[in-house]
Amino acid sequence: MTSYYTLVASLPPLPQPFDSGPLPITRSTLRSRLDLLDDDDRMVVDQISRFFVWDRQPLDRTDEEVWQTHQRLMEQIDNPLVRQVVNHRFDMRTIVAAIRRKRDQEGPPIGVPPLAGMIRRNWDAPDFNLSTRYRWIGPFAEAAAAGKVVQAQHILFTDLWNTWTRIAQQYHFTFESILLYLARWEIVERWTSRDADAGRERFNDLIRETLGEYAELD
Amino acid sequence: MSEPFWNMMGMLGIYAPLALGAIGSIMGCSAAGQAACGAMLDVESGYGRLVGLSALPSSQTIYGIVVMLSLNRTIAIDSAPGLFAIGVLCGAALLFSGWYQGLCCASAIHATKSKPEVFGLSAAPAAIVEGFAVFAFIFALILAGSLPAAPVAS
Repeated sequence: MTSYYTLVASLPPLPQPFDSGPLPITRSTLRSRLDLLDDDDRMVVDQISRFFVWDRQPLDRTDEEVWQTHQRLMEQIDNPLVRQVVNHRFDMRTIVAAIRRKRDQEGPPIGVPPLAGMIRRNWDAPDFNLSTRYRWIGPFAEAAAAGKVVQAQHILFTDLWNTWTRIAQQYHFTFESILLYLARWEIVERWTSRDADAGRERFNDLIRETLGEYAELD
Repeated sequence: MSEPFWNMMGMLGIYAPLALGAIGSIMGCSAAGQAACGAMLDVESGYGRLVGLSALPSSQTIYGIVVMLSLNRTIAIDSAPGLFAIGVLCGAALLFSGWYQGLCCASAIHATKSKPEVFGLSAAPAAIVEGFAVFAFIFALILAGSLPAAPVAS
């Protein structure tokens, strides 16, 4: 197993919890630090980075597309930790899709096995009988039903953050610790960019309020 | 067993503390040194103490030198097994202590980088590992004194 003392020590600490601070390292600086990885490990990092890019896209894909993407990723990815990260995200997407479909009085999603089968079997239960394993389902469903999108997203990110932080405690200066750093960095990045979007919107509102009709002039 | 065999075992025992201790120091200083270099990319000051911490595992080589000098003598068939046992076991202890002390130092550097106020405390695990190396070193010296002396040639 390759150890990455220099790389791990060069990565700044992430805010703890994820919503408590700014992004500690930019994407470009992180990319340049990851040049310290050897070729095989860099390929795995590219795989997980591509997955994160895919995962950030809107949730309006068809079930069939999501299922095919999962199949393709499982064929491509060998690293067990990356598979775990990907599967965890797909499970989360499947449950979120199921909650949304239930709210819209549609049928259960195709999703990714074995979770999709469990959801189909327990479709009538409010939490699909999964809340002992996925404790976030109840609070998330409540937030989603109340239309509190930001709170719902925060609940999902908190669960992801806690999962990766717990696993990261097992690894020190190894490639796995870098993968888990990236997974958590992605959460912070998504959360802070959400703040940036909200901030930009608020700034534009203030400009509009202050300048009135002149705000639209070039 | 023949005399050349016991000579070889005796020489192994004499040189093992230095060789194995040096290997431990190499592994430990390398791990901690790499961590120090990485941390330097992320901090703006305090480089000196990072490098200082990464040099802690070098003490195992010094202990190895002292044990080697205390074991060094004319090898006799009576003392060769003792020389071998003390030297190799003491060397193994120094190797592992150097190696794992380096890992402790790397973790201490990583922790210090994010929280400079824990510098002293984060070095404590490395100091504890050093303590075990000192035990191995001291008792090797004591036992070396009890080995039978080589007979004086008439």
